[in-house]
Amino acid sequence: MSENTKKSSPVVILAAWVLVGVPLTWGVYNTLLNSMKLFQAPASSVPASAAPTK
Amino acid sequence: MALLSFLDRERSVAHPGYSRWLVPPAALAIHLAIGQVYAFSVFKIPLSQLIGVSKPAAGDWKQTQIAWIFSFAIVMLGLSAAAFGQWLEGAGPRKAMFVAAVCFALGFYISYFGVITHQLWLLYLGYGFVGGIGLGLGYISPVSTLIKWFPDRPGLATGMAIMGFGGGAMIGSPLSIKLMAFYKSAGDVGVGKTFLTMGTIYFIFMMFGVFTIRVPRDGWKPEGWTAPAKANAMITRHNVEVNTAFGTPQFWLLWVVLCTNVTAGIGIIEQASPMIQEFFKGAIGPVAAGGFVGLLSLFNMGGRFFWSSVSDYIGRKPTYFVFFVLGATLYFLLPRTGADHLNSIALFVGIAVVLISMYGGGFATIPAYLRDMFGTHHVSAIHGRLLTAWSTAGVLGPVLVNYLREYELAHGADKSSAYQTVLHVMAALLVVGFVANLLVRPVSDKYWMKDGSVATADSGGH
Repeated sequence: MSENTKKSSPVVILAAWVLVGVPLTWGVYNTLLNSMKLFQAPASSVPASAAPTK
Repeated sequence: MALLSFLDRERSVAHPGYSRWLVPPAALAIHLAIGQVYAFSVFKIPLSQLIGVSKPAAGDWKQTQIAWIFSFAIVMLGLSAAAFGQWLEGAGPRKAMFVAAVCFALGFYISYFGVITHQLWLLYLGYGFVGGIGLGLGYISPVSTLIKWFPDRPGLATGMAIMGFGGGAMIGSPLSIKLMAFYKSAGDVGVGKTFLTMGTIYFIFMMFGVFTIRVPRDGWKPEGWTAPAKANAMITRHNVEVNTAFGTPQFWLLWVVLCTNVTAGIGIIEQASPMIQEFFKGAIGPVAAGGFVGLLSLFNMGGRFFWSSVSDYIGRKPTYFVFFVLGATLYFLLPRTGADHLNSIALFVGIAVVLISMYGGGFATIPAYLRDMFGTHHVSAIHGRLLTAWSTAGVLGPVLVNYLREYELAHGADKSSAYQTVLHVMAALLVVGFVANLLVRPVSDKYWMKDGSVATADSGGH
């Protein structure tokens, strides 16, 4: 019985990474959009008491 | 039953020429799916309005009752990883991944029936108990296989998979929200059908991992790679059986290392949103704080890949030294960034994201540390038992943070100073972890498996 020595196709390897990479990228993109809210804090809302102490 | 023989270890031995780069996507398919558990909070409000739909009505479940579903799932993750790790070593990763997928999907299906019949115990049983077993088995199933495929970069390999667990919540959260919006109608919040759909989607996705995973054949090595000629005392060439490893000081020292690192990380995660709002009152509102939490999850995920990969170059012990020394210093400094001291939001955020990256890094680097100490033979089973440190920290962290904060507030401290005490306690915990890491030495030769037993157990392409 001959042994299967066929090398894995680069296309198959790429497809496997795309299959897990696409949902992960979608998740990261959504989280990144959410994170942007941190940098949209209105500076004008900083009260005087929050000013630097020195 | 002949169909299920496909799941046997012998049937999953890779043929010559099989690329090892197909194995991380298989592992990621499992971890990206089960990582959904950290997005469970998106179901809390809809589950509390099953009767009232637009707002809670009489007979609706309380959020405190719903919170137990997640807690059961996490407890079962730790318990099943500890209990089934040894079975996994014999059964092989494909069978373990298949059982994990069945349990995880079944958990959603049982929960669906819990929603349509409004029986909360079915959600405890489904998502919590059965789904939790799927979490534990799924979490540890690809670890030893990855380490065997990547003897040259075990940290990078396990980091890729465990990074997926962090990424799973990022997929699970928007997916659940979109599905619930799609299924929502005048008399239905849409959560039941969402459970049904998610169970099916995740089962199919996890099957990709089941069909793709392979174990390397006996004696396989990466092309052109030879084991380093110069022996490193901190990387064993022997194997320790799981029950023997459980009785070694190294196991318990690493248990403390993981437990302290995770507890300290939870100190940030648990209080991230209220803490940044208290530190920068008026400058940071709830919306911006939500963005901060999102940023933390990105660094939690990225840290898993980054630090575990770094550990391949600088070593496992030095990597944890970085976590403990830098971590303790940063936890000590974090309260100083607040509005009453330096008043630097950028510095606060910068420190917090580094801290959270090391929290994630601690999870991802521990499998490779275990491999260095105990060999590859039972590393999944040993990892499974070590995850009880995570379960412990999952309880200890929030209790410690909340209790200390309440205590400080009850004794007259303002909200900002109460956080200071909590963060200083977290710094002290990391000092305990530092000492435990310092005490880790190579495992004594009296614990090593005899060559014969390794050869027997290793047969079948292990």
